[in-house]
Amino acid sequence: MPGMWWVVGASLLVGLVAAYLIWTAGRVERLRVRADSAARALDAHLLRRAAAAAVLAERRYGVELYAAARIALDAEPEEREAAENDLTRQLRAVRLDPTDPECEAVIAASRRLALARQVHTDLVRDARSARGRPLVRLLRMGRRHPWPRYFDIDDPTLELPTDVPA
Amino acid sequence: MRIGIVCPYSFDVPGGVQNHVMDLAEALLGLGHEVSVLAPADEDSPLPPYVVPAGRAVPLPYNGSVARIAFGPVSSARVRRWIARGEFDVLHVHEPLTLSLSMLAVLSAKGPVVATFHTAMTRSRVLAAAQGVLQIVLERITARIAVSALARKVQVEHMDGGAVEIPNGVTVAKFSHAAPLPGWPGECGPGEGGALGFLGRFTEARKGFPILRDAFVELARSRPGLRLLVAGPGDPDDLFDRFPAPLRDRVTFLGLVSEADKARMLRSVHLYVAPNTGGESFGMILTEALAAGTTVVASDLDAFRRVLDGGRAGHLFPTGDAVALRAALAGLLDDPARRAELTACGDLVVTHFDWPVVARRVLEVYAAAIEATDGRVIDQEWAGLG
Repeated sequence: MPGMWWVVGASLLVGLVAAYLIWTAGRVERLRVRADSAARALDAHLLRRAAAAAVLAERRYGVELYAAARIALDAEPEEREAAENDLTRQLRAVRLDPTDPECEAVIAASRRLALARQVHTDLVRDARSARGRPLVRLLRMGRRHPWPRYFDIDDPTLELPTDVPA
Repeated sequence: MRIGIVCPYSFDVPGGVQNHVMDLAEALLGLGHEVSVLAPADEDSPLPPYVVPAGRAVPLPYNGSVARIAFGPVSSARVRRWIARGEFDVLHVHEPLTLSLSMLAVLSAKGPVVATFHTAMTRSRVLAAAQGVLQIVLERITARIAVSALARKVQVEHMDGGAVEIPNGVTVAKFSHAAPLPGWPGECGPGEGGALGFLGRFTEARKGFPILRDAFVELARSRPGLRLLVAGPGDPDDLFDRFPAPLRDRVTFLGLVSEADKARMLRSVHLYVAPNTGGESFGMILTEALAAGTTVVASDLDAFRRVLDGGRAGHLFPTGDAVALRAALAGLLDDPARRAELTACGDLVVTHFDWPVVARRVLEVYAAAIEATDGRVIDQEWAGLG
């Protein structure tokens, strides 16, 4: 009976399409959750660096660094990128002494921040590219959440791992 | 931290990736972490205690050479079982874009995944065709490491993502304490004596051996007692035919050497020469020569300039210029103070490549990957990063 094969074929097709859609929705959601986690980790590292810089500035290097650290700590979301870049510039301007434990804390915090920034950028890119696929847009998957946002700051690394001009 | 590392290639065959994985695992163990390495190998082959064999690797012709890999349902089941039992805080895979255990591990992983890219492979047609599949692999990776600037550049330009550049490590103690070969390096006075070293495939054009040969032949004529020590794969007759008959007894050929003999070889010469004309992405051998405390003379390639701290830790000569190389060799052999100056700087540079130091940087990437997965920040002390 050809009619039955049509039914089998059609239900198989529907099943496959449904499986693909569920998998795609899961993928979009998984990547969004991960980009969110990365954003929280990045936020924590930004606060740590600014706090370490403020502690250091209270003891040496003075007002300008302290002000930059305070501004970075208190910045509104839309001003935060500029404030963090400013702090990076201030930290580069003063010559940090790696043998001093408080300087070393700032250097280590900057290094960890650089990694968090790198990972966050990659994961946001993955999440956005999954979200931007035509099928995902068409079915408006993930519409309950805003698009993951990049956090666009300069590389905050203070010292190069080897003293080689790159 | 509980760390699971996946090596795509079998430990039965020596290779750069395998050595890297073993050295990294040992360095992490040395820092007090729990490490398990999954690699293709027979159950009965002798392996370090931290390696879990995943079954025999099948030779498969790939990209002009033979790759030994394990891939398929059986391997896949083993990978999943190893991951489930290991309860790892982080999974670290090497070369995940090859059809291998690494790719299987990435696809079965749930938690944070760190991937290291060794080769600077450019976008091939196969890669472009499989872009959709590769994207699924890539987006399961949390953080990426590239071992050289070139590998990193490929990541950025072709894989559409960043990568942290962390160089290959070198176990400095293994090199700095190696005993020189008997009778080497011998005397080196003004105008006479001295020993030069070369390691690599002397038949391969980009290794630049002909440049060293020309410089050596010219210099040996005017400098009695100058000797050349060559190690690497190749036919001895083929090597000696390249030298004029009177100079042949001043060339010593070791053939292919083990890691231990490589260290002894590097300690046996006054100057290690790297006359490469290109194609080097990192220059591992230079860090090893520096670790051995040997003065390095290398062609002025980007990769070499980076390792040699812009020329402060070793002498750079214009790439491919045998006359400049000869002048540099003659000058350095006559100037022990300059050699000491370069090796002193070399000692400093090589501490950045010492495995425990490199392993700490890898641990920081692990921490970043774990943090990006659950959003909490790990303390330096807890992770043993400091």
